Amino acid sequence: MDINSKNFKSYLDRDNALKKQYNTERAKKQHNKGKLTAYERIALLFDEGSFEEIDAFVTPADNGIEFGKVEKSFGDGVIVGHGKVGGRLVFAYAQDFTIMGGSLGQVHARKIDKIQQMALKMGAPIIGLIDSGGARIQEGIASLNGYALIFSNIIQSSGIIPQISVIMGPAAGGAVYSPALTDWVFMTSHTSYMFVTGPNVVKEVLNEDVSSEDLGGAEIHARKSGVANMIYDDEENTIIALRKFLTYLPSNNVENPPVTVYDGLTADINEKLRDIVPDDPNKAYDVRDVINLIIDKGSFFETSELYAQSIVTGFGRLKGKTIGIIANQPKVLAGVLDIDSSTKGARFIRFCDAFNIPLLTFEDVPGFLPGMDQEHQGIIRHGAKLLYAYAEATVPRITVILRKAYGGAYIVMNSKGLGGDFNFAWPSAEIAVMGPDGAVAILYRRELAEAKDPVSLKKELVRTYREKVANPFIADEKGYIDEVIDPAVTRSKLISAFEALNNKWVKVPSRKHDNMPL
Amino acid sequence: MKKVTITKILIANRGEIAIRIMRTAKLMGIASVCIRTDAEPGAMYLDFADEIYDLSGEAPDIPVFLDVERLITIALKTGCDSLHPGYGFLAENAYFAQKCYENKIAFIGPSPDAIYKMGNKTVARQIALSNGIPMAMGSPGNISNEEEALKQAERIGYPVIIKAASGGGGRGMRIVRQPGEMEKMFLLASREAEKAFNDPSVFIEKYIENPKHIEFQILGDQYGNVVHLGERECSVQRKHQKLLEEAPSSALDSELREKMGSMAVIIAKAVNYYSAGTVEFLLDSDHNFYFMEMNTRIQVEHPVTEIITGIDLIEQQILIARGEAMAIRQEDVKLNGWAIECRINAEDVQAGFAPAPGKIEKLSFPEGENIRVETGVRPGSAIVASFDSMIAKLIVSGENRMDAIHNTKKALDKVWIKGTKTTLPFFRMLMRNQLFQSGDFTTAFIENDLDQFHSSSEYEETIAAWLAVKLFTEESLSDSVSSVDYEQGKEMNPWLLNKRINRF
Amino acid sequence: MMTTHKPEIKKLHALNSESEVFTFNLPLKNIVKVGKHEYTIELREDEKYGTYVLWKNRRYPVEIVRTKQNKYEILFNDISYTFTIETPFSLQRKKVLKSSQGRNDRLIIRAPMPGKIVEVPVREGSEIKSGEPVIILEAMKMQNEILSSATGTIMKIGVKPGQNVMKDDVLAEVTIK
Repeated sequence: MDINSKNFKSYLDRDNALKKQYNTERAKKQHNKGKLTAYERIALLFDEGSFEEIDAFVTPADNGIEFGKVEKSFGDGVIVGHGKVGGRLVFAYAQDFTIMGGSLGQVHARKIDKIQQMALKMGAPIIGLIDSGGARIQEGIASLNGYALIFSNIIQSSGIIPQISVIMGPAAGGAVYSPALTDWVFMTSHTSYMFVTGPNVVKEVLNEDVSSEDLGGAEIHARKSGVANMIYDDEENTIIALRKFLTYLPSNNVENPPVTVYDGLTADINEKLRDIVPDDPNKAYDVRDVINLIIDKGSFFETSELYAQSIVTGFGRLKGKTIGIIANQPKVLAGVLDIDSSTKGARFIRFCDAFNIPLLTFEDVPGFLPGMDQEHQGIIRHGAKLLYAYAEATVPRITVILRKAYGGAYIVMNSKGLGGDFNFAWPSAEIAVMGPDGAVAILYRRELAEAKDPVSLKKELVRTYREKVANPFIADEKGYIDEVIDPAVTRSKLISAFEALNNKWVKVPSRKHDNMPL
Repeated sequence: MKKVTITKILIANRGEIAIRIMRTAKLMGIASVCIRTDAEPGAMYLDFADEIYDLSGEAPDIPVFLDVERLITIALKTGCDSLHPGYGFLAENAYFAQKCYENKIAFIGPSPDAIYKMGNKTVARQIALSNGIPMAMGSPGNISNEEEALKQAERIGYPVIIKAASGGGGRGMRIVRQPGEMEKMFLLASREAEKAFNDPSVFIEKYIENPKHIEFQILGDQYGNVVHLGERECSVQRKHQKLLEEAPSSALDSELREKMGSMAVIIAKAVNYYSAGTVEFLLDSDHNFYFMEMNTRIQVEHPVTEIITGIDLIEQQILIARGEAMAIRQEDVKLNGWAIECRINAEDVQAGFAPAPGKIEKLSFPEGENIRVETGVRPGSAIVASFDSMIAKLIVSGENRMDAIHNTKKALDKVWIKGTKTTLPFFRMLMRNQLFQSGDFTTAFIENDLDQFHSSSEYEETIAAWLAVKLFTEESLSDSVSSVDYEQGKEMNPWLLNKRINRF
Repeated sequence: MMTTHKPEIKKLHALNSESEVFTFNLPLKNIVKVGKHEYTIELREDEKYGTYVLWKNRRYPVEIVRTKQNKYEILFNDISYTFTIETPFSLQRKKVLKSSQGRNDRLIIRAPMPGKIVEVPVREGSEIKSGEPVIILEAMKMQNEILSSATGTIMKIGVKPGQNVMKDDVLAEVTIK
């Protein structure tokens, strides 16, 4: 083709016009708010020079109604395309707040729809970088329909490709359901918000003054609502973390997770593990110390860290292979299971199961949280989710009982009966129907009431109970525990157990879908 | 008194002091027995024993080192003819000393009577008073209620300090500056005393503002000979816990030393004191001194006295317990040079000296002519909350105070401890502190004169910042994703194919 | 079509807890400048000393205490330092956010569950770091450390040891730094 031809010239002109559209003035607007531009975010996310944009020149739909101003810009406020993250294909869309507030119009929605369809067809992860004022008022119903299209795409792709939303600005109204439906939500502190109804509406309806930050800031969603899985102080760190996060996930549900080149830096036998769990059953410790000494050095990526902290979830690697870790956290509320920690655990397990990520459970749980509050909120229903998620999962499942494993909570935490493939216990494990104090009080109620010295009798009975009943050796001898292991060798035991389970396949009866308690 | 033989000592203690005692015992050809406990079955002090009595596997309600009957039984069972209590635990328990005596076990320490008299602060005060020892004005005996406390305080003049009669170590002490505070402080002090010492009795003394803490090491035999070995200054303390001790003190000249030393000897003689003991005084800014209390044991800080006098205090304790007459006369005692002891504890100086338990990973100390290190831990040892937080005592000497400070500064830089935070930054700061260098500081030094308990030159923080940046570039900026093999996840085998066809 | 390039980061800033800035040029060289002088610095590890820095012919012990996102706690020569690492843009962002927002500067710590207060390890007016315990609450026979989620000063303590609390009772208030 002659580069002096008319067509080629208009090609170049258009290109220049696009470049002009994204002038420094526009970038400044974002920067002054402490935010990056959509292109800058894309550049950070993808490997150098690997991003290929499509539909860069589409223009907003003309619906013929004269109401409000529609900026005749290229791209309609969203950048879509694909590129490589760590050399692997990833699809993404990034909303551009500088063009009509990143509002979602018909064309804007169609671009996202297109890229969603492509990601599903190619079996590649899709990332949404969200920074949008919501539905475009000027386009009315067409814009709402656009959202519906995006939602139903997410649902179609759910469990087939990993879908991640990164909130880097506002996400309000119906728009919040797009991140809510995806697998993971990342947020940037102080500059991103999510709410169904914003502070203005709250003020109008309830006459309450509340700031965007307090209503739906990153901190609130990470700590209280559990909507945000990961939050970071700034956009660069958000994207750095996202790139790291992707290395744990397979591209789709028929691939296995990627494997890292194992550096051999982690000791297979680590005697430090013997010292972490305190002898006193009422003393707390940080279960993450256990996790970090067992998995590959520095490989733990904690998810939903601030939410329902009595359970720890996250990804890690064993000899380079991704595993999903669920652990009771004795440091927080004794590691008790409550409504929030049950749902947090259940959702994590289901993600791992969908994407062929083997599950590793560390158990030290005193039971379910008692009380009116929890019962009335439906701990029965929500606790069932965790139980359900475990029993349903067909990926390899291993449990290590570190200390307490009592009652219903023992059953729930991937017990042998629920289909745990390998269940190990440390010698410090206490496995029983209930804790020593409760058991003694029930079984020896009369004796205790009549005793001259009930305190020392109780002490004696508790000791006997610990020795005779609540220990891992009985469970081991009866086969409910596969092996009682020295804490120091946990890592090597787990590596060989997961290797043995590498090709695990469970035939699942065919059905339209199951009916999980929701 | 008759002579006894000492051929085998039960060490009723642990840690560095157990090792310290065994070192001298070995030199004297005496065997030592140590007790292995469940709390630290692999502790370092066990390596120095000729015989170990094994109690590991038992989790007693009270630690064995506090169990009088148990210790006596162990001593008898192992054929020990003597027992050294060290410091802390039962070292100042008259009943324990009495029990040893009854069972014909030589207690390497003072008589039960002397322990009892000096252990009860009210009795000790009366003895001191009747022997003409200068003392801060105080209540004649214990005080039973706040009305009486108010009356006494009125007589003595504010500020006053309420102290536990059976106390020590700063617990059960409360300073009252005006009558309005009395009720609250009285209750707090007596409640605290009851909790800590099982005895709610308290008494009141004039509170000396910002004094120096000066103590005299004394040594007496069973024939009434008593000498003093000069003073130690322990004014660097926090909440009545000593952090650094030195000998001699820059606040004393030979005249004052002579005056205070002879007072220490008088009070020791008043209770027929034998073995090693310490008489504590407060010294105010006008060089008036006041008797505070007497400690009837070997003290943590005894090495500084050993260094400047050349006398092995443990050896003297054993000789005296054997019933030998002391060979040292007052005129033989000469103080040479200067010695400083730093207590290196597992504490977080930056968090206000909060305990920082942990496991010692790496440990090494400098060596040299003017350096002495007493420690009971080694790499792998755990600093457990159930015992104290001491890692080591670093004792450094010099020709004079400035020389000793200079040598300490150098030695501190060579101490290498990894695994827990320590008080090292505090001492490194202290050696560079002008007020400390001048010697003109009081017990209020840490609370009032220091803004920060550690210091670091700017370059240290710059290096730390460089490290943080280095880590960030390695972890976040470098493409960590490049070590990920995405292809391996796609690998196909017949089984996987089957899984895919059959939808899992 | 727009081509995207990763922004080249020429500098990194380490911010300490007092917001003092230490700036380093990239690529990072093994050199630390003090005043006018530059000295080579090396990070090493061996069996005898563990991890250490070699600087001006002296070894200094080093420990990476904690790293979280871009926050680093480093124990250097037995003193711990906390830094956040900022790129030129994120440093700018920090300044922008600080000036534009009246940040919510108070943290209210509530009881996460009913229980009994065992210990209050802090005093009103004392400084507290994020992650440090404010209250020890006994519930389910376990002592739970209730941690501060922010760094700042304890403004108010609403409970005493021995006191029973209900869920969501206010335990303490922290003024965020």
